[in-house]
Amino acid sequence: MKIRGTVAAALASAGILLAGWQTGTQAGGISTVASSTTATGTTGATGTGSTGTGSSGSAGSSSSSGTAGSSGSASSSGSSGSSNSSASGTYKGNTVQTRFGPVQVQITVANGKITDVTALQLTNTDGKSIQISNRAAPLLRSKVLAAQSANVQTVSGATITSDAYLTSLQAALDAANL
Amino acid sequence: MQQTSNPLPATAGTTLKARTFDCMGTVIGLTLPVDSPAEGQPGLDELAAATAVVERLFRDLDETFSLYRPDSEASRLARGELTLPHASAQMRERYAEAHEWRLRTEGAFTPERPDGVLDLSGIIKGHAIREAGTSLLALGRRDWCLNAGGDVLVSGSPHPGSAEPWKAGVVDPADRLTLITGYPLGGNSRHSAMATSGSAERGEHIWRVGSGAGDDGFVQVTVAAGDIVTADVLATAIVAGGTRMLDRAADNWDVAVLAIRADGSMLATPAFQPG
Repeated sequence: MKIRGTVAAALASAGILLAGWQTGTQAGGISTVASSTTATGTTGATGTGSTGTGSSGSAGSSSSSGTAGSSGSASSSGSSGSSNSSASGTYKGNTVQTRFGPVQVQITVANGKITDVTALQLTNTDGKSIQISNRAAPLLRSKVLAAQSANVQTVSGATITSDAYLTSLQAALDAANL
Repeated sequence: MQQTSNPLPATAGTTLKARTFDCMGTVIGLTLPVDSPAEGQPGLDELAAATAVVERLFRDLDETFSLYRPDSEASRLARGELTLPHASAQMRERYAEAHEWRLRTEGAFTPERPDGVLDLSGIIKGHAIREAGTSLLALGRRDWCLNAGGDVLVSGSPHPGSAEPWKAGVVDPADRLTLITGYPLGGNSRHSAMATSGSAERGEHIWRVGSGAGDDGFVQVTVAAGDIVTADVLATAIVAGGTRMLDRAADNWDVAVLAIRADGSMLATPAFQPG
């Protein structure tokens, strides 16, 4: 157990904790992390706190790292040393600086498996919550149909020729304002 | 998408007025809120004066950069009668700017045609809009909307003194008389420029690049950004570079993107998502 804990801590300080979180749901990695928490008593390990696309909780290989302090009930019955790990609880990572602003990630572990990854702190310097991911997602036409009737003052479209302009919405807007 | 339906408070005495002119093969329009248009000779004169400044600027740039004019500097470069080191300072500056964008977009945007001819038309309209905006601000105009063939740059608000943004509609590539959605520009919006590129109309300066091959491609891409050249270049680059370039743009620039495929399906970054 001692050896296992030391190895786990060494691995963790190499900065792979979050990578472990990532793969732990599929592989058995998470039980190692959980027993490391138990073995070293109170503190967790150093891990990468990267958040390229925070909503999906992906880790990437950011160089920003922080010590993951465990909070909540790390109620793993570590003394048993059995393979039947039952670690449960929530674990908060340290706040790390990203280009989106300060970000803190929390994981929820149930029976040795990560059941949730939450971004706790998504604020910019003004204290407003920010959009951490700007990735494009499918947009349903029916969802934006209401906007069709919205008043607009100008129209953006692929460049049209002077001839095509004559029958365009922009021409109608311009004519109304002549 | 805030405020999709926002009945405007009738600002006393202010009405939007527009003037248009033909240049660069398309129509450019300037819209200003004008005081008391009924008797408003001063207001309309200001609009006419502002439009004249914008038109002068577009015509000067077109004379230098148009490949449709055999006597332009760009045409002489294309024929090899002139080499870049001997070209005018503004020609070299635009070339440098276009090349910088080629690097930033990993080649999805390029100032060279497949036949090797230098073609800066992908950046000149955006540059002209940018310069026109600078001139309007220098003239003391704070509230205006400039639309050059579907690329838009605004300042201030349609209701002077308020934080209300201008509202730009995005045209449906399948039906030019239908809008797909609207987007706020200027006012309290973080973006003041919007450009749309399409593979259907006048897309001759867009060439598909290898990175875009394999996905089914976009027929129309709209980008909102803080400045018009970024919006224009990235819209062009995403049409050429497909989903990969879309992700790169969303990750690396403060932009909002609405991309439409040939089958009508759409991808949108959060700012274009309703709610």
